[in-house]
Amino acid sequence: MRRYAPFLLIAAMLLVPEMAHAARISELSESSLGGRALRFFTFQDASLRNALLGSMLLGICCGLTGAFLVVRKLALMGDALSHAVLPGVALGFLWNMTKDPLAIFVGATLAGLLGAGTVQLLRSTTRHKEDAALGFVLASFFGVGICLFTRIQNLPGGNKSGLDKYMFGQAAALGQGDVMLLAVVTALALGLVLVLYKEYALTSFDPGFARTLGLPVSILHYSLMLLLAFAIVSSLQAVGVVLVSAMLVVPAAAAFLLTDRLAWMLVISALFGMASGALGAFFSFVGRNMPTGPFMVLSASSIFALALFFAPRHGVVTRWWRRRSQSARIRRENTLKAIYRVLEDHGFRTEQVSLAELAQQRRVTLEEATKEVAELKRTALVTISPSGEPALTPQGWQRACEIVRNHRLWELYLTHAAHIAADHVHEDAEKIEHVLGENTVRQLERRLNYANRDPHGRLIPGIEDIRAGTATMCATRVPGYGGAEP
Amino acid sequence: MNPEDTPLEVHDLTVAYHRKPVLYGIDVTVPRGQLIGIIGPNGAGKSTFIKAVMGLLPPASGWVKIFGQPYKTNCHRVGYVPQRESVDWDFPVSVMDVVLMGRYGHLKLAQRPSKKDREIARECLEKVKMLPFANRQIGNLSGGQQQRVFLARALAQESDLYLMDEPFAGVDAATEAAIISLLRELKSRGKTLLVVHHDLATAREYFDSLMLLNMRLVGFGPASEMFTAEKLQTTYGGRLTILSDVVQAVGNQA
Amino acid sequence: MSGLIPEFNWREVVVQPWTQDLALTGWVMLMGFLVAAACGLVGNYLLLRRMALVGDAISHSILPGLVVAFLIFRHANTWIMFGGALAAGFVTVVLIEFIHKQSRVKPDAAICISFTTLFAIGVAMMSVLETAGTFHIDAECVLYGEIAFVGLEPPVVVNGIELAPPSVMRMGLVFLGIVACVILFYKELLVTSFDPGLARSMGIRPTLWHYGLMAALALVVVSAFEAVGAILAVAMLIVPPMTAAQITQRLPARLVVTVAHALASAVIGYHLSVWWRCSAAGAMVVAGAGLFVIAWLGTAIRTVLGRRNAAASAPVGATMES
Repeated sequence: MRRYAPFLLIAAMLLVPEMAHAARISELSESSLGGRALRFFTFQDASLRNALLGSMLLGICCGLTGAFLVVRKLALMGDALSHAVLPGVALGFLWNMTKDPLAIFVGATLAGLLGAGTVQLLRSTTRHKEDAALGFVLASFFGVGICLFTRIQNLPGGNKSGLDKYMFGQAAALGQGDVMLLAVVTALALGLVLVLYKEYALTSFDPGFARTLGLPVSILHYSLMLLLAFAIVSSLQAVGVVLVSAMLVVPAAAAFLLTDRLAWMLVISALFGMASGALGAFFSFVGRNMPTGPFMVLSASSIFALALFFAPRHGVVTRWWRRRSQSARIRRENTLKAIYRVLEDHGFRTEQVSLAELAQQRRVTLEEATKEVAELKRTALVTISPSGEPALTPQGWQRACEIVRNHRLWELYLTHAAHIAADHVHEDAEKIEHVLGENTVRQLERRLNYANRDPHGRLIPGIEDIRAGTATMCATRVPGYGGAEP
Repeated sequence: MNPEDTPLEVHDLTVAYHRKPVLYGIDVTVPRGQLIGIIGPNGAGKSTFIKAVMGLLPPASGWVKIFGQPYKTNCHRVGYVPQRESVDWDFPVSVMDVVLMGRYGHLKLAQRPSKKDREIARECLEKVKMLPFANRQIGNLSGGQQQRVFLARALAQESDLYLMDEPFAGVDAATEAAIISLLRELKSRGKTLLVVHHDLATAREYFDSLMLLNMRLVGFGPASEMFTAEKLQTTYGGRLTILSDVVQAVGNQA
Repeated sequence: MSGLIPEFNWREVVVQPWTQDLALTGWVMLMGFLVAAACGLVGNYLLLRRMALVGDAISHSILPGLVVAFLIFRHANTWIMFGGALAAGFVTVVLIEFIHKQSRVKPDAAICISFTTLFAIGVAMMSVLETAGTFHIDAECVLYGEIAFVGLEPPVVVNGIELAPPSVMRMGLVFLGIVACVILFYKELLVTSFDPGLARSMGIRPTLWHYGLMAALALVVVSAFEAVGAILAVAMLIVPPMTAAQITQRLPARLVVTVAHALASAVIGYHLSVWWRCSAAGAMVVAGAGLFVIAWLGTAIRTVLGRRNAAASAPVGATMES
């Protein structure tokens, strides 16, 4: 975190003064998509740089603030406040009937704080639950805002153009002042998070404990709410009232899926926010004056969807894939075990196993057995003779011995140590045999005094058998630990 | 009297939830170096008492003094183990991060934990035998392990008075034994511990003194004196019929 | 800022809507009432189930449903639009469940992610279509509806008798349908909202009623959409039942108060919009919120008085001993 922040900050500060001439992106002449994309990537226009830089700054400050919203379960607070700032935007405009970024910023911040205060007041003085309080603030403030906006449209005079951009956002309409404001807010967010990281982390995780340490929990909470209001308000121009909440929550939620550390979550969330800001500006530019908000949100949502499905540990697809490969492994191991059992029935005199016997042992049809054997061949655990009969490779023999040993050891353990009847242990061992690690096996062996027969009287394959490499080498002697009968 | 000898003094403490009183006029002076169990039926205000002592709940009346001073002045001398359910275990922090939080009371605003703080946190983790899990996300722990993490965090606070809310809830027997021996060790170093406990059967064995609570203070004193049928009957309001059996059983054991 | 609030002209603001403009404005008021009442009745159950913000989510996310339905069928039939909205509502609910169940993202974030994404899809498609010149819903309609145009619609004529404008007719039918459902299924809705476990033990399937409620929600929101837009529909869902809950704790009384609140906010809101020359839908929401604030202050004052009385008659110490 601390390593990245200064660079971003310096980059922002250096770029801001360069953007002088704000021209509307819509006035550009290229008409073909390719031409526009080229323009985008060559950063020819100052206005485009404005839009792009503004969107990226927006992503960073929303990402940072949003990460705390997500871990504090305040996502819907972001939604409520982003709608609640609308009347403040209108009042800021009415101040001197122009789109003065500072006036609008002040008005909207005040409206946001009033909204947050109203939620608090509703929660403390009425029986209404959190959701109702948030819904009320969201909808009624928005209603007031709509009244003011429609009123402004009926007012004579003033420069009203561009005011409608506050609804769905238009990065192209970002002026130098707007970008300046975003840079200041982003710097503030970065500064606060860097300086008070430890306090914010603790109050988010365990506010009760934080208070017993004497930390000013409610001041920290309100400073975060103030930061939230700042983030929302400075992002309005680019992403719009209706969709700011998405820029707060979606990148942060994606980051939450990818990491187990709050510091990394903040970094990733800011990066995702930045990326979605840039993508949103790009699509809006290429698509000629499209509203930026929806495209930014869609970019962020795509990132979230990727994280949801493909996150290394928690992803839906990753988990599904892991389960699938696990069940494939279990199926392979069961086939190996069946081959071992067939070999055992023949006293380990042959290497080849007939498919029919294997199918009988596995309780499957001949076709299924053929398929399973082919699968084993693919993973080099068996070789298949010209007549289609499988024989274990040294690797396959070793794995088969291990599985059978695991199974029988576990059965023995259950009957001896846990006093479970011998006919009740097979089902359990069927599952455990695939997950027993070598360490556990060593422990089991010690606890069972290196016993060599399972509860059903069959021999447990030992280390010697595993080393032997093939079945036929066992035919000359009795397999089992030390080979001796007890 | 020397304020160092009275870690906790509570006078006429009354606490109300939504204007319904939960604790009435609690008067108690806790002596130093004792392991004290807070016992009472569900809804008796055990947790409320602990939270009110630390100012987490505003009292309707009365005052609390920690080593002769208001809580705010001496908050760095109090360690707290909240109930396990009070936090979100999906929170993106590691075991080490949580234990380090215990050091925050000794750090200034915006000050980072130093090497020494990390060393202390490491030692505390070692004491509860959780050092091998230091880098794990806290959600990937068993209930007993989570409780140990909270305990390590309280140890890292290096306080003189510990308030613990149900540290034995939902932990296995081994963890319970480990926790109680740790608490005894703390006591032998002159710390004072108040522990909310719900299991009558072990209460007498674990604690030096008992605080019987049922909306008001029924009794406070040595465990042997508190463990009478009469006192327990008052505490539990006769609602538990098996209560006398438990007293009997514990009496027979002793 | 001068001139923000126009001079209050009694004749223009209060008399005219009821006399010479009645033909035009009566329909707007009636429409406002029907929307608020239908939404409010459904909203009561949302509030009981602590799902107010699911209402918020669904009212946002029907937008892509409408756009997709229009794209597929190429014309704006009521039933097609309703089907699209219903599908979108269903997708929202499923999406929220999926994100919440399949990952460790908490429900609040899951709601936020689902509906903002769907809404963004809707707005993005709309603006693409608008640029291509094939679509007629504009952004402003999404935000605050076009309730003022109701009075300009040619009325439906049946057997030579002029009835109401078609959108008012539709909304009226929806309102009556909701009222009928609330009366007919009163006990099922009550028990599934209050205690789903009990309901299941009595053979009433809570999941079924949950989805039924979601369907009703999608129905009222899609019918309200044209008049008040996606976001103000949330106000219509939440504000009337909240006011009712402030006044009474009993469900039947709440339902009645909800309807009364809808009527009052429609009438007051309309006059406000004439006075302030602003959006009628927005003004109705402001009026409704104002009524809630009055009810809120009322209970607050009552609580303070009650506390003073209680303190005078019975000191805390006395009650303790008993």
